[in-house]
Amino acid sequence: MEDILLRARNISKNFGELQVLNSINFEIKKGEIIGLVGSNGAGKTTLLRLLSGVYTASAGEIMFDNGETIEKARQRIGVVPESTGLYSRLTAWENIRYHSRLYGVSDNFAWRRTSQLAEPLGMTNALSRHTKGFSRGMRQKTALLRALAHSPHLLLLDEPTSGLDITSARTLRKLILKLKDEGGAVIYSTHQLAEAEQICTRILIIHNGEIRANGTVSEILESTKKKSLEEAYVHLTMDDARPRFENEEKMTRLSTWWRQLFTGKLPPKQIGGDESE
Amino acid sequence: MNLNNSRKRVQTIAKKELVEFARDWRTILAILVIPLLLFPLLFILFPILLESEAEERQSMQLNIEIQTSLDQSEFPTFFNDSNLMITYTELANSNVSQISDSETEALRDLHIDSILKLSKKNNTYTYGLFYLSTSELSLESRSRLLLILEQWEQDEIELRIEGAGLDIDETLNPIQHDGEFVANDVATKGEQSGMLLSLFIPLVLSVWTFTSAIQPSIDMTVAEKERGTLEALLGLPCSRKELLLGKWLAVGTITAVGVALQIAGLLFAITYLASANLFSLPSLSALSLILLFVAVVLFAIMVVAIELAIAIRSHSVKEAGSILGPAVLFILFPALFSQVINLDNIELFWFGVPVVNVLLALRELLMDRVVAEHIVIWVMTSILYAGSAALYAARQFRREDLVTSIS
Repeated sequence: MEDILLRARNISKNFGELQVLNSINFEIKKGEIIGLVGSNGAGKTTLLRLLSGVYTASAGEIMFDNGETIEKARQRIGVVPESTGLYSRLTAWENIRYHSRLYGVSDNFAWRRTSQLAEPLGMTNALSRHTKGFSRGMRQKTALLRALAHSPHLLLLDEPTSGLDITSARTLRKLILKLKDEGGAVIYSTHQLAEAEQICTRILIIHNGEIRANGTVSEILESTKKKSLEEAYVHLTMDDARPRFENEEKMTRLSTWWRQLFTGKLPPKQIGGDESE
Repeated sequence: MNLNNSRKRVQTIAKKELVEFARDWRTILAILVIPLLLFPLLFILFPILLESEAEERQSMQLNIEIQTSLDQSEFPTFFNDSNLMITYTELANSNVSQISDSETEALRDLHIDSILKLSKKNNTYTYGLFYLSTSELSLESRSRLLLILEQWEQDEIELRIEGAGLDIDETLNPIQHDGEFVANDVATKGEQSGMLLSLFIPLVLSVWTFTSAIQPSIDMTVAEKERGTLEALLGLPCSRKELLLGKWLAVGTITAVGVALQIAGLLFAITYLASANLFSLPSLSALSLILLFVAVVLFAIMVVAIELAIAIRSHSVKEAGSILGPAVLFILFPALFSQVINLDNIELFWFGVPVVNVLLALRELLMDRVVAEHIVIWVMTSILYAGSAALYAARQFRREDLVTSIS
């Protein structure tokens, strides 16, 4: 019981009439790397945003080991959103320092920790450069350094290896494994089942806002009686994915009508025509 | 919440926004350099330009056709201007108000700059003057001919009065003012300058405050949404209120610096004009100056809060720009409107109307009029509007859909 870092109970999240997450229950233990696996629109990012305090749950509660809510425990969380969220007119170090200061960490502490972590990532020289010209890999590494500079207990990563080359993805995975050894917990959202299988101690399969599986790879294979994680995933998510919230914005009736007014129709179907034409 | 930590976070946010802003030289140029140069250019360079253009027009060679049935000896010497190339022809038609197609074509093709048709019936000269209003040369020839005709008329009047045995001055000016009107104005030079400045400073200040806050407001809110930096920020241990306050401070500082530079430019221009005895420095009491500052600050609080709220509500930078750009009309119209409101015996309610209240206050204060009941009303209502705008902005910053991708 003492090993549990965070507990989520009956978490639901609605946006208007749309229920994005439905009665989510799980626990995170210290030193765990949890792979959050699901298709687009499954609810992974929403869950990560609930855990980082960007959203508030419509129902249920998320509590840390000392009884703190997310609101109070933000200090203990580090986040790497999918977009990385770096300021292009600031240097990598200035980006890191900005967040560290808002976490209430001294510049000295943040610098010591950053320079220590930057070396294995090959980022030492890049810290003084503006992030504008950074590659996707360098952006991800900078965002990771930023999320780790205040020594968080829980690291939330939203598809951290998406768009990364093989070497960068490998370096990033190594660093995450190192964090696990230090006793920190990581929640890692990904599309890549092989990647999740490789580094995660436990996997949460999320589909249509519900948790379909929660366990180690062997536990999931055993419960689904499948030979591979991919087969198990397909089996667990067989029902059609729900349609996504249109264009991720609330549309008034007037806005919808106006947009439709300037939307062309699809060309008519060619019966018996050659598709290659 | 620890207030000291909260203050530090607000400072951190504001400082970062300012550093990021200062690193974009194009924005610095648009928001800081232009206001600094605006008034010196308007007050010093523009008159110089106008003067040189006037001189250039004076030296223009103008082609004028005079059609007349009169003998040339009847024309006064004014027509012998060296820059007027006059061609005299016989007046074909006694109706001087008519123009033929070929004459119209000659004017439109710029072969002739203007045509003067002149006839005499009994003791009265009748003329028709034809020109092309879209041609600078034609307009110049028209104004020079009118000037000559006016002088000729004046000479004719004097000749006829003398011919009738009357005194010219007594006949033309039976009621005369003794002395100079300007010297009889009991308002001091400083008060007169204040009055003149009050006609455009409130307009410029209010419009500039609004427009200079648009770009930073968008950049610090909806642009952060688009770049994905807002999501990372919202997960940090700082409240949305602190976030708003930090951003408000940054936008407010940028706007304040822009307005201060504009005032510095204005003061430089006024001092320059004063040194050439063309203008006097306005005489303002310390209280008027303090109240002017209070009025601008309250106005800026309201404007910046509204702009931040609209920008954060928008779905994209494009949407925010297309709302905030035309929204300047909500400042421009009241600003123009408040210029024509009569300040003497003004109804009190005007000092409670949003935007108009601050603009009227600026007008009064620039004329060094400190009216206690007016001040109480505009200060109270401005605080109310600024507070409401801040509350509205805080509400917008609390919205959960600031980040809305569902995946």
